Amino acid sequence: MTLQSNTDEIREIEAAAAPTRFARGWHCLGLTQAFGDGKPHAVNAFGQKLVIFQSDDGTINALDGHCRHMGGDLTQGEVKGNEIACPFHDWRWGGDGRCKRVPYAKRVPRLARTAKWITSEQDGMLFVWNDPEGNPPPPEVMIPRIEGVTSDEWTDWHWYTTIVNTNCREIVDNVVDMAHFFYIHGSLPTHFKNIFEGHVATQYMTSAGRPDLGDTEGARMLRTTSVASYYGPSFMIDDLTYHYEDADHKTVLINCHYPIDANSFALQYGIIVKKSEALPSELAIQTAIALGDFVKMGFEQDVAIWKNKARIDNPLLCEEDGPVYQLRRWYEQFYVNVVDVTPDMVDRFEHELDTTSPREEWMKVVEANLAGRSVAEAI
Amino acid sequence: MTAQIDNRLSDAPMMPLNCRRCSAQVLVRKGSWNQTSVQWTAGALAACLQRRDPDNSVAYSGQGVFLGCSALTDSIVGAVGDGDLPVVDEIRSTTT
Repeated sequence: MTLQSNTDEIREIEAAAAPTRFARGWHCLGLTQAFGDGKPHAVNAFGQKLVIFQSDDGTINALDGHCRHMGGDLTQGEVKGNEIACPFHDWRWGGDGRCKRVPYAKRVPRLARTAKWITSEQDGMLFVWNDPEGNPPPPEVMIPRIEGVTSDEWTDWHWYTTIVNTNCREIVDNVVDMAHFFYIHGSLPTHFKNIFEGHVATQYMTSAGRPDLGDTEGARMLRTTSVASYYGPSFMIDDLTYHYEDADHKTVLINCHYPIDANSFALQYGIIVKKSEALPSELAIQTAIALGDFVKMGFEQDVAIWKNKARIDNPLLCEEDGPVYQLRRWYEQFYVNVVDVTPDMVDRFEHELDTTSPREEWMKVVEANLAGRSVAEAI
Repeated sequence: MTAQIDNRLSDAPMMPLNCRRCSAQVLVRKGSWNQTSVQWTAGALAACLQRRDPDNSVAYSGQGVFLGCSALTDSIVGAVGDGDLPVVDEIRSTTT
């Protein structure tokens, strides 16, 4: 309270430089179809250039983009069998990071190993496991399957990619930012809850329709339910349902990113929509596109803010704000060695705003009880 | 990163509270009549009966996220009702 009354004191913004270490965890690089053409692809991620290529055995591999021989750019090489061949001297690198063959040499030198990322293909997406300590991914942090992707009852992915020139902590902060849903997404949250536990950070939200938006989708819609969880540092699955008088429209929205370097990241989002009697195939696809455009608009407004805002480690919060500090404590677990993960980073934390419980009635009960207690104490 | 402090918690910290069903002790803070924060420990989570019941479809989301324990929510409401847990906004509005 003393700070509030001392009007001469200025609140300073504090911010350490963005970390140069990249988060431990599964990162989605995009849809697998973008990488499965038998050609090498360059992906700038984790402060490096990676080469992504599908070998003849069908596996999609991820290696450091530069040949350990003389530094040739493997992303400009050629896939030969199960290996990527360097365009400089044709050295052949396997998906396991080992040099398999030097066509003009009798023997491959010792230590002919390059950096590789463990890959996983799931539900139409390509994931890489990043770990500065070089450990394999524990099975419990695998990204959950998304029911619907492989089903004919749902549309295919409608997918967007864009580059954002700021540190990726800014987008993760959105998890706790309730107020921006009203201003940016035109929704009216009635129940908002953040849950951090282990490597998962969840945002649960129910929103009412917006009668003030006139004769629009927002006005006809009764409410939305959204359960959005980050599974690890970068991949969020949002089960998003629109409730109408006659039917529920079910959608899944992916919001994911991978760091390019300390000050930029690739933002990707994808949408699938469940087809139904009320939402036959063509209409479901249109819904996915419309929702995608809507999300795009929201992110573009976020990006406009991020471009100019200051990085801030000590945000000054009011009671109505979300749990920014607790979210960042959770996020920190991905930037330290596994042995340095402390209980406060992974212990369950909940922050809830429920506007549906009637305050007046409730406060009457409290006052009556307190009055009863003080009478009892007086006796 | 140097440890940063949530100014709200320096003004009014979280307080211990025992669930009236399973007795698990958590830290709770009610910022306002409709805002509640709960800090669990691994021990408290292990003790929670609803957390241990994965078939409890009310408490779990479709993706298997445990959304919350209703017995703990009732305990918090009860503690406020009994005057054992202050509501930060209500204290401010009466003292300022």
